[in-house]
Amino acid sequence: MATTACFIIVSRNDIPIYEAEVGVAAKREDAAQLHQFILHAALDIVQDLAWTTSAMYLKSVDRFNELVVSVYVTAGHTRFMLLHDSRNDDGIKSFFQEVHELYIKTLLNPLYLPGSRITSSHFDTKVRALARKYL
Amino acid sequence: MDPATTPLGQMLLDEITPVVMLLSTPSVEQSCLKNGLSFLQTLRPFCSFNNIDVPVRTASDQPYRLHKFKLRLFYASDVRKPDLMVAKEQLKQVITEAGDKMFSDSRSDVPKINHELSSSEHQNTPSWFQFLNKELVRVASFSDHEAFDHPVICLLAVSSKDEQPINRFIDLFNANKLPSLLNDGAMDPKISKHYLLVHDNQDGPTDRASKIFTEMRNAFGTIDCSLLCINSSLDAPIKHQDNPWALYITDASPTPSQDLACFLNIDDINEIKNLMQDLSSKHIIPNMEQKIRVLNQQVSATRKGFKNQIKNLWWRKGKEDGADSLNGPTYNFNSIESQIRVLGDYAFMLRDYELALSNYRLISTDYKIDKAWKRYAGVQEMMGLTYFMLDQSRKEAEYCMENAFTTYLKLGSFGQLNATRCGLWWIEMLKARDEYKEAATVYFRICGEDILHSAVMLEQASYCYLLSKPSMLRKYGFHLVLSGEQYKKCDQIKHAIRTYKSALSVFRGTTWGYINDHVHFHIGQWYASLGMYDVAVKHMMEILACSHQSKTTQELFLGDFLQIVEKNGRTFEVTKLQLPVINISSLKVVFEDYRTFGTPSAVNTKEVSWRSLEEEMLPSFSAAKTNWLELQSKLISKKDIQSNVCVAGEAVNVSFEFKNPLLISIPISGVTLVCKYSASTDEVKSNENESSLEKDDEADLFRNRSNDNSSFLVSEVDFLLGGGETTMIQLSVTPRAEGILEIHGVKWKLSGKIVGFHNFELSLPNRNAGKGRRKTKHLQNEKFKFMVIKSIPKLQGSIHPLPEKAYAGDLRQLVLELRNPSEFPVKNLKMKISHPRFLIIGKQENIRSEFPACLRKKTDSVQCDADSNIMSDTVFLFPEGTSVQGETPLLWPLWFRAAVPGDISLYMSIYYEMVDVSSVIRYRTLRLHYNVQVLPSLDVSFQTSPSQLRLQEFLVRMDIVNKTNSESFQVYQLSSVGHHWEISLLQPPDTIFPSQSLMAGQAISCFFTLKKSRKFSALEDNVSTLPVRSDVRLVPQSSDDLVYDINIAPLINFHHYERLQQEVSYKGDFNAVDFVLISRPFKSNNDPGFSDPPHLMSHHACHFSIASTGPISWLIDGPQTLHHDFSASFCEISLKMHLYNSSGATAFVRIDTLDSAGNGGHNSNINVAQTTTPDNQAGWHDITPANNELKVTSPKFLENQPVKALSLESVSPYIWSGSSSTHLHVEAMSLAEIPLQICVFSPGTYDLSNYVLNWRLPSNGLGDSDETRQHSGKCQGYKHYLTVLQST
Repeated sequence: MATTACFIIVSRNDIPIYEAEVGVAAKREDAAQLHQFILHAALDIVQDLAWTTSAMYLKSVDRFNELVVSVYVTAGHTRFMLLHDSRNDDGIKSFFQEVHELYIKTLLNPLYLPGSRITSSHFDTKVRALARKYL
Repeated sequence: MDPATTPLGQMLLDEITPVVMLLSTPSVEQSCLKNGLSFLQTLRPFCSFNNIDVPVRTASDQPYRLHKFKLRLFYASDVRKPDLMVAKEQLKQVITEAGDKMFSDSRSDVPKINHELSSSEHQNTPSWFQFLNKELVRVASFSDHEAFDHPVICLLAVSSKDEQPINRFIDLFNANKLPSLLNDGAMDPKISKHYLLVHDNQDGPTDRASKIFTEMRNAFGTIDCSLLCINSSLDAPIKHQDNPWALYITDASPTPSQDLACFLNIDDINEIKNLMQDLSSKHIIPNMEQKIRVLNQQVSATRKGFKNQIKNLWWRKGKEDGADSLNGPTYNFNSIESQIRVLGDYAFMLRDYELALSNYRLISTDYKIDKAWKRYAGVQEMMGLTYFMLDQSRKEAEYCMENAFTTYLKLGSFGQLNATRCGLWWIEMLKARDEYKEAATVYFRICGEDILHSAVMLEQASYCYLLSKPSMLRKYGFHLVLSGEQYKKCDQIKHAIRTYKSALSVFRGTTWGYINDHVHFHIGQWYASLGMYDVAVKHMMEILACSHQSKTTQELFLGDFLQIVEKNGRTFEVTKLQLPVINISSLKVVFEDYRTFGTPSAVNTKEVSWRSLEEEMLPSFSAAKTNWLELQSKLISKKDIQSNVCVAGEAVNVSFEFKNPLLISIPISGVTLVCKYSASTDEVKSNENESSLEKDDEADLFRNRSNDNSSFLVSEVDFLLGGGETTMIQLSVTPRAEGILEIHGVKWKLSGKIVGFHNFELSLPNRNAGKGRRKTKHLQNEKFKFMVIKSIPKLQGSIHPLPEKAYAGDLRQLVLELRNPSEFPVKNLKMKISHPRFLIIGKQENIRSEFPACLRKKTDSVQCDADSNIMSDTVFLFPEGTSVQGETPLLWPLWFRAAVPGDISLYMSIYYEMVDVSSVIRYRTLRLHYNVQVLPSLDVSFQTSPSQLRLQEFLVRMDIVNKTNSESFQVYQLSSVGHHWEISLLQPPDTIFPSQSLMAGQAISCFFTLKKSRKFSALEDNVSTLPVRSDVRLVPQSSDDLVYDINIAPLINFHHYERLQQEVSYKGDFNAVDFVLISRPFKSNNDPGFSDPPHLMSHHACHFSIASTGPISWLIDGPQTLHHDFSASFCEISLKMHLYNSSGATAFVRIDTLDSAGNGGHNSNINVAQTTTPDNQAGWHDITPANNELKVTSPKFLENQPVKALSLESVSPYIWSGSSSTHLHVEAMSLAEIPLQICVFSPGTYDLSNYVLNWRLPSNGLGDSDETRQHSGKCQGYKHYLTVLQST
């Protein structure tokens, strides 16, 4: 389990539609904004990188000090971004894949408007469970 | 691209140049100071040569020409490592000054990023970065591991005024004063010298000077001596047009640039120029050439060639064990390593990059093996630069730079300066190749422990991201924020604000909440710390609605915000206060024009449903305008029709939701509407233009409007909005006089400190959805504009006591009370009710009669004609002349009956007209809405079946279930509706209801006989003997209550509506029967939940068809038992068939008697079920005539007989005699009689069902549409048993 892990889903319009701090470390007050800053800045890298490969999992694309940003881009250009300090590449990959499955299930919900914030508590608990499992 | 023209190339050509060490006597300095310059400064402008054109021949034989050349002059005392602390202070000062300057420049506007313009570096990056970077490079100079800062030549200057100038020259180059570089053996102390005699022309003629100069030549040699005469302009100070010194002395010098060098005339300048050119071309360059050649030879001798390499390798290996200090071994100037380095640097300075590179390569491996890391890094750095200048192998260059950089960093703090310099050069290299992204990462890596330093570097990194292609704006923003944070840490608040504001241009409008909050919060805080509270408040306002933050953060934000507001002193009035959030889609404006609302819930009902209810009552608009003389058309101009109308003295209510997005509760006070009143319509027009102009400053608009409230009253609300709460706020404005009232918005005070406005007009798009009450065609402005007309009467109405809860079937008398508080009367009252099944209007006289006694059947029962009383569901008109005025209310009875269980909404609308016709509104409607919850009580169902014994008689089964939870009911009375039904109980009521009541959950069945009274035949005959008993009491006779009359006013009306409601298949009046069950709550058991227990309940069940088989009913009449002597003859029995046609038309009936039972051809297709049944009991006869014993009465015999009968083959034991088929017409509603006869041949019991009855009704032409109604049918005969016994 990673000490710091911030998972965020960014819609194709660069709007965060889901955010979760899934690390075990005690939450610092300024951590949330720092994480957002790093992930937001990493979007610049993703923007270039996403078109260079056909793989959805882009591995770690950016880093800030000891924090690494791993990104997974879905076919609809929704980006799953994970800020982490652990080096568990396989775990992160499986995490992303399972979250992708969850995300697709959310998309199938006729009441969910694609690109809007994911407020489902079921989704949240599932993502957190996956984070515990893989990260 | 020529590397020399790039910024890095320029920088290298400027910085890595030969150093001239200057030694001068104080008198030389004195002479120079007359010009406001030091000696060094005097010489400096002439140290760079753009067109020197010197041939250079280094190691190779091929000479090449140098065009540009530059010298660096340093006093001997400065040839050392610069003082770090001083440099830092100086940098800090520069940064602070720049901060102040930039801050005052860009206070108002946040810079907008324009992607097109960002291409050029110099437009975006502040200029002081260049200076700063240069300083940082300079700080790292004169390191002992590099040779290009080693002085190439020493310039000794002695004034002609000095005593014993020759000795002075020798004294000047005194070992004690020499810089440490020369003394500690890092460089060769045998430096070549040049002797300069300076003569000040103001001190006298040149004679003495030339004499000394001759002496000098003798002493030091002709070549190494020169004479310089300055200050030739004796009196008049010269103003130089473009002062060559001005460029170099911008900093620190207090004298204005015009006064500089005022005593130097053009000859002096030329002389200095020549001196310097000679110095470089005749001394420095040849000197360096010479040295390069010498060193090259040495290096070739010792290190070049295979043999030397092997030797070197061997030697180094051996040396490895000894020296392992951090810096590696120290190298003397005469060590071969130092010499190679010097050779490389000299070659670099003379731009023989190939030579330099080969030497750097050579030395770099040596240093690496020796673990002399600093020297290794230095050489790597130079290699990188050389590669760059050669414009070869970019990769190699970058690799070298990175290598150097990381090696410097490994050295720790004392490699930091060199690392910075190396990084800056590396960055310039990357920038020259447009690799801004990489440059940014290098900037990021440069950031060291020094906070200010790293702040600047981070800011530069951010600009790199901006300049990269495609520009990485998010990275730009992030690094600006990082840099701003560092600036803040070292108290450079202005810089911090500047960077954050630039970052804001990236983050503005972003939905990344934490980022937004962070940036705005800090800008706000910092502005507050600078005392600029108004700007601070503006930024802090952005973050107030931070629902995603934790509670502590929210408290912090709100607390800081309020603190800043407080510090500012005056009350703020802002338009975009986000706290609390106004849910504009919940906005609802309720006003009363011709529509008035009697109950609050009536407001929430959709206008459409009211419209449909009132449709019949209201005069249509077109009808009202038929006459062009009509007053109304004059009063209302076309424009006014569009705006809403409200009445003076009557409140306009505005309700909307306030939502608190935070977790903490916030006090809100003084919530009022902001309105504007104008007396006449003309003013509105002028105001419209005005308001469009004023749009930009809305807060001011609000301020002006809020003061003027003499002509209307606004309500004010204070409340505390808890965390996450949403509160519906209702505000009202009451105009006092005629005119125009406009509602602009709402105003509130947060925490008693800041006033927020919200303009209703602002958010246009989703407003139409929120309001059902408004015409959508209106312009946005019009929707909040009201034409106030003078006061007119308004009725107030209420119904009491309307229960909120009732059991199904509950029947009550209610009173409608109408009041008119104004002094003007109203007339022409009309009323309409949405659900007449639940609520009907009574008669005026009912108001005094006592309920439920008034429903009792009077003894002198006059049969009133029920049909005339039944209402059609049109408008109820109050009697002519009814008017409501003043104190006395109008009371009118209403009947309420809870027809079906469920939540029932009852709508009533009362229409009335003004007596005063001059008003704009001529009529108004009062709308009332009530909700009644009806609970299930008794569930009643009926089943009827025709009696087989008598015509016109039916058996009725009634099932009652009490579905309440606790209530018991007394089932009081069952009535059949109409006059031609007679109902009677089969059992006494005591046996059905032993406890006289039906308990909760109890179900019970009871049976009745229903008989059709013979009214139709002969009313006069029977009426005296048989009174029609259409009501049955189900309670013991002892109870003194009378029977309720279901044929009087409310009951019969409700029954009418029930009939309409329950009408499923309406088969005609005559075959259906309606029942009304009347029950009462059992008195002993009162549910406390009901304030007013029901008195009487009626349950209506309608349209129970009694004729299941068709319109024809018949009965065979004949003897049941007969004695006959069969020995004499067969028995002939006469029977009678009675037929009754219950339909409304003449029926054609045919009776076919069948002798063969069960297998007749036409019989089988009549009723298939009957032919296939095994028990074909066509009858039986005794097959034991022999013994002649009759044991009919014996039970044993009877038991055995059917078994035997079944075994018989079906031969009909009797024969129909008489006609086998009878035809007859039966008139409508009449009886007919047919004689029938059978012959029986043996004693026995016979079933006389062996006949078929066909009936047909004439089909009327238009009756075809009535599908459910049968026109013809066939009926199998009823079982009728006849026993014939042998007579004795």
